[in-house]
Amino acid sequence: MEAVTFEGVTKSYDGLTAVSGLNLQIRQGSFFGLLGPNGAGKTTTLRMLLRIIVPDLGKIQILGQPLAAATQDRIGYLPEERGLYPKMQVRQVLVYLGALKGLTEAEADRRSSMWLERMEIADWSERKVNELSKGMQQKVQFIAAVIHEPPLLVLDEPFTGFDPVNTAAVKDIMVDLRDRGTTIILSTHRMEQVEMMCDSICLINRGRQVLDGDLREIKRAYGKNTVRVEYAGRDMLDLSCFASSVNRFGNVVEAKLRPGVDPQQILKALVARNVPIARFELIEPPLADIFVEKVTTANA
Amino acid sequence: MRKLWLIIHREYVVRVRTRTFIVSTVGLPAVMIALLVVPAYFASRHSQHTVDIAIVDQAGGLASLAAKRLETHSLPNGEPEFTVVKTFETPADPSSTLDVLRKQVLAGKIDGFLLFPSDVLTGASAEFHTRNPGDFAFANALADAATQAAIGGRLAQERVHVSDLDRVLKPVKMDVEKISGQGETREKGQTFQAAMLLAIILYSSLLMYGITTMRSIQEEKSTRVMEILLSSVRPFPLLAGKILGVGAVGFTQYLIWALAGAGVLTYGAVMLSAFSAGGAAFHLHFPLGLWFWFVMYFLGGYLLFASLFAAVGAAVSSEQDAAQAQIPITMLLVVSFVMFPVVARNPGSHLSVALTMVPFFSPILMVLRIALDAPPLWQLLLSFGLLAATTVVMVYLSAKIYRVGVLMYGKRPTLVEMIRWLRYT
Repeated sequence: MEAVTFEGVTKSYDGLTAVSGLNLQIRQGSFFGLLGPNGAGKTTTLRMLLRIIVPDLGKIQILGQPLAAATQDRIGYLPEERGLYPKMQVRQVLVYLGALKGLTEAEADRRSSMWLERMEIADWSERKVNELSKGMQQKVQFIAAVIHEPPLLVLDEPFTGFDPVNTAAVKDIMVDLRDRGTTIILSTHRMEQVEMMCDSICLINRGRQVLDGDLREIKRAYGKNTVRVEYAGRDMLDLSCFASSVNRFGNVVEAKLRPGVDPQQILKALVARNVPIARFELIEPPLADIFVEKVTTANA
Repeated sequence: MRKLWLIIHREYVVRVRTRTFIVSTVGLPAVMIALLVVPAYFASRHSQHTVDIAIVDQAGGLASLAAKRLETHSLPNGEPEFTVVKTFETPADPSSTLDVLRKQVLAGKIDGFLLFPSDVLTGASAEFHTRNPGDFAFANALADAATQAAIGGRLAQERVHVSDLDRVLKPVKMDVEKISGQGETREKGQTFQAAMLLAIILYSSLLMYGITTMRSIQEEKSTRVMEILLSSVRPFPLLAGKILGVGAVGFTQYLIWALAGAGVLTYGAVMLSAFSAGGAAFHLHFPLGLWFWFVMYFLGGYLLFASLFAAVGAAVSSEQDAAQAQIPITMLLVVSFVMFPVVARNPGSHLSVALTMVPFFSPILMVLRIALDAPPLWQLLLSFGLLAATTVVMVYLSAKIYRVGVLMYGKRPTLVEMIRWLRYT
């Protein structure tokens, strides 16, 4: 069964279309990436899913049911703009938000303890929210999203504000939840995370979906058309005569090959130039490149 | 329904535990009692010592009459309020007599002297010469004594002999009887005091709890906790829970005050009246019908103003914007406040009736009218009906503005924008 379906969903504000004719199918127990540049309509899409706003047109279903008060309790939400009651105790906030999602207060209290322990902030549970560091507040906010163990989890930029250690911890929890059947919708700009985590994606731009489907299939469709060279030193060959686009990093170059160019030609040229190569690879295009390309062509 | 209860519960518990709640609950009555008691206490302290005076009578025959009258006044401790240490009947050398007395006043030997000029019986003023004119709360007693003496003097000129002037001049007191549906009650200013007290309580609580509701909503919006709440609860229970939760806090405060007030009335009034006439001020008069309408108008007014304030709280993004945007609503309450005297002076006038029909003014002004007057039943029902209808409409509109406003961040919306929000689905 699909965890989420959108059918021709449209929403506009004062004549400005925020989302237009959106169709989505999100498989149960999968990681789904909702991508798009700033202002593309991601937040509007998520808010419609959460029943915070109502679409003008179209149909949204969650776990086979139309949106209703009951479906609201089956979704966990981590909004991009974080915020909790600053003057309430951490535990009280969690119990309150858990109870609003349909838990009994005793159950919400028990789960708060469990999650605070798991996120290693149990010592802070009786403190007021505004006495916590930013990172700790983010953890509390994450707990608020998962405390009722919803079958559907909506995470808007889940990793912002976390250091690498906590990012890894949160990612582990997400994978663990997914393994236990939770469907997770990620909305983020961090392409490398999407690339590693998501099973399928939808890219929206200016309210319209420009790309969607299984991530591997999307990448396979582009084929291994990109050469990735890792090298040492400063002396690098200009690859633009072989490539339609070149993306230079510090000591890595990614070049999307022109049609008809054999990667061997590049390797030969590099060897001839005596570039100290650390790694030479033929890859599928990175998601970031696909993202940029799609958005640029759509805007053109 | 369970979620609504959770919201009311959180709002209530969080607010009742704040320092603001405790301070205002304890502090406000303390300030009010202090305002009533402290001046009464000091006023009573003023005349705790006997005032020593001299009387200079240039007209003749008045000094003894005035002295006799003054000696009828006594202090609460039984001592006489005035002692006439010396009288000068038609002194041969008035200016030197006055000089001597002035020196005695300056030296503190006497507190002052009363001077009857020679033409006092034909209309000239009597004079009281003292070092500290502002300090004397007993000027009335002096004027009364001087008047009585002058009347005695004039009667003597007309050759009317009166043996007991006090008895002849004894004034007739006027009791004011208030006619209401419950019959007649003796009026001693208690109706007016009760009316003003209720009106002031309504004014301050509608303002205070309205603003609390507004700030509470604005806070949830600016801390962004709103987004999570909206993912769990529909906007209407969220708004209703907020208004009812804050309202329950207000009711709790009233209950505490009412119980404390009952205590003060029972025990305090006895104690207070022991040392001041101000104790009578506590003898307020609240008929049952007045209580009923007070509660009804408080509920109606609270829901009306809380929903207006709530709409403002939902529409703005910052505390500064909220402070600006609330002004028109606060002004409605201020108008009610300014109109207090107009309604109090003439509760049945066309203007009073008109004002008490306007739903934004009626919660305060109608209660004032009911307390002072007996408005016809049709006016009561019409006024309350208009209030109830307006409240229902405002709660509905406010819910619509709330629903859209809480998701809008950035610049303060104009009224036109807010009206456009009403059409959003």
